[in-house]
Amino acid sequence: MSGGADDTDLVVETVRDVLAGHERSTLTPERRWDAELWAELAQAGLTGVGLPEEAGGSGGELADAVAVVGTLAAGAGAVPVAEQLLVAGPAVLAAGLTLPPVDQPLSVGVSGALRVEDGRLSGTATDVAWAGVVRHLVVPAAGPDGEVLALVDLGDLAASDAANLAGEPRGSYVLDGVPAQVGPVGELRARYALARAVQLSAAAETVLAWTVQYAGERVQFGRPLAKFQGIQVQLAQMAGEVTAVSALVDAAVQRLERGEPVELAAAAAKVRAGAAVDVVARLAHQVHGAIGFTQEHRLHHLTTRMWSWRDEAGNETTWARVLGAAVAGDDPWPALVGIV
Amino acid sequence: MPSTLTLAPAPPSEAAERVRLEVREFLAAELAAGSFETHVDTWLSGVDPAFSRKLGERGWLGMTWPKQYGGHERTAMERYAVTEELLAAGAPVAAHWIADRQSGPNLLRYGTEAQRREILPRIAAGECYFVIGMSEPDSGSDLASIRTRAVRNGDGDWVVDGAKVWTSNAHHSHYAIVLVRTAPADPTARHAGMSQLLVDLSLPGITINPIRILDGGHHFNEVVFDSVVVPGDMLLGEEGAGWHQVTAELAFERSGPERILSTFPLLAAFARRASSEAELATLGRLSARLLALRQLSIRIAAALDRGELPDIPAALVKDVGTTFEADVAEEIRRVVDVPASLDSPDPLGRALAEAQLHQPGYTLRGGTNEILRGIVARGLGLR
Repeated sequence: MSGGADDTDLVVETVRDVLAGHERSTLTPERRWDAELWAELAQAGLTGVGLPEEAGGSGGELADAVAVVGTLAAGAGAVPVAEQLLVAGPAVLAAGLTLPPVDQPLSVGVSGALRVEDGRLSGTATDVAWAGVVRHLVVPAAGPDGEVLALVDLGDLAASDAANLAGEPRGSYVLDGVPAQVGPVGELRARYALARAVQLSAAAETVLAWTVQYAGERVQFGRPLAKFQGIQVQLAQMAGEVTAVSALVDAAVQRLERGEPVELAAAAAKVRAGAAVDVVARLAHQVHGAIGFTQEHRLHHLTTRMWSWRDEAGNETTWARVLGAAVAGDDPWPALVGIV
Repeated sequence: MPSTLTLAPAPPSEAAERVRLEVREFLAAELAAGSFETHVDTWLSGVDPAFSRKLGERGWLGMTWPKQYGGHERTAMERYAVTEELLAAGAPVAAHWIADRQSGPNLLRYGTEAQRREILPRIAAGECYFVIGMSEPDSGSDLASIRTRAVRNGDGDWVVDGAKVWTSNAHHSHYAIVLVRTAPADPTARHAGMSQLLVDLSLPGITINPIRILDGGHHFNEVVFDSVVVPGDMLLGEEGAGWHQVTAELAFERSGPERILSTFPLLAAFARRASSEAELATLGRLSARLLALRQLSIRIAAALDRGELPDIPAALVKDVGTTFEADVAEEIRRVVDVPASLDSPDPLGRALAEAQLHQPGYTLRGGTNEILRGIVARGLGLR
């Protein structure tokens, strides 16, 4: 793949085609992810987009990877693609480690207590995205000379059962001297936060579109909901949030594309995207009424994810403190506008 | 996302970053010399003709206009950088603000050649100030219900009768652009029959009465027109096209950095002392909101550079941006225990007081947020 907007459009079309063949289903302890979807995406080379071909990826630009992740988020695809394409994959390569085969899911965890000694990883990794489903894992760990990035092959190591509000696995691993590749930790946490912000932005945009559509179709008191001024105000407020999030997330992604430090931009994007969830999800449910409160309707696939994604990879408070500490001081304005 | 609401990302502008640093240097020197004090909401309240002239001398007014009219033919992105630096510093920009932002571009589009040649260079020099004549005592959000009227007399001049309100700094201004009825109201075509007149505020028959806002400041006025004879060639644009012209004008009025940064001097005062985890979290949350709005507003500036008229995104930015301006004061007062007072010995207490007493204005001026949400709803295809 080469770069450019046309290629990105093509990638998005391909992902949509693949998604169209899969019914969105509610995740359960028996069905914790969409293995068939993953297999099809891997078959089409989409689990390596944005990762260089010489490292075993499919090539293409970061923008293509962002487009894949956004499209899958909007479609509630239950696969660890955001983690692989935007977080763990690039972090592994930035650290100079060997990328595992891209058809084997690779994920990330940033919580718990882990240490590396003599190339072996030990401790507990908690809140691991897609725990029990993925083959490889990237974590930050304490090394003899400070924090490092550790990449392990989980093999058939078991994870605890835990899921986020959408049923996506978020369990823990207990690691006892698992052989690890080790490198500099880089901006792993910021990449993770930005990946969730990309997903939140795409999901929020879709929720707005669904809500506008529903308000146009649902008739009460003899006219569509969309014709009531009270409903129009709610939809306009949702649009304000969605538009603001999308502009900031785009700007943060562009910084990443330019190879600039991204921690503060990612912090801002995660805080802003997380803060929008309350307005967008709450008003979407309010407009959808009781049907949106059921598993029969599609809305929950995205709202439950948004409620969780805002908490994952560091919630608004965590990242707001990072951002606040960078802006605080005698000269806040230049500090602020230098972020994105 | 409907295409009416999406905006292409703004390409980075090196020229804008260059002029930004020049403005920053200028402001630091002015502050050090004590030529102004930082305040909240200075694009309404900070009238300082000497400061406006300094900006004019440096080429920072009329920046995007053609050189033949005293402009500097720079991009909207460069103008954006200049205006946001001035607002962030809380500099006194109110004297020239409306003329530079809105009236000048309006004259460029609709003025006669003589009007452009006479007035635009004076605006760009920071010497000629304008006031907006839209709202009336009985016409606020429902602007089409205005009653101020202009009738042609036997000499072909306009005779204007009526009153305009909330005319910011009319008592310091040289001209008003006044929306008037030039044909009787027609209930079947509410937006027809209106026109814009360029009115010299020194004409006989004009009375300017102060209206004080909550902090006692005199910025607003009532401008009363009592059989004011306005020369016939002072019609701006087309007779009967006033509504269309006003609507286009509002796209410029609504999207700028002044819809985000009116309370930034308060946020800066807070940032200078924020240290606890709660304070840093509040600062970070507000910063993230500001950065998102700034991206949107910059995208609109870039769209204006491309010759687009992004009126619906502009309405959206103003809704979200002015809500943010008000929230800055509310969020900060929740984490600091500093009473708001204009007499506070603490600069944060004074900034909180200014931001609080100006707060009702943010979400009203330039179209209430209710009106703006209606425009966004139209962009979503709901109307």
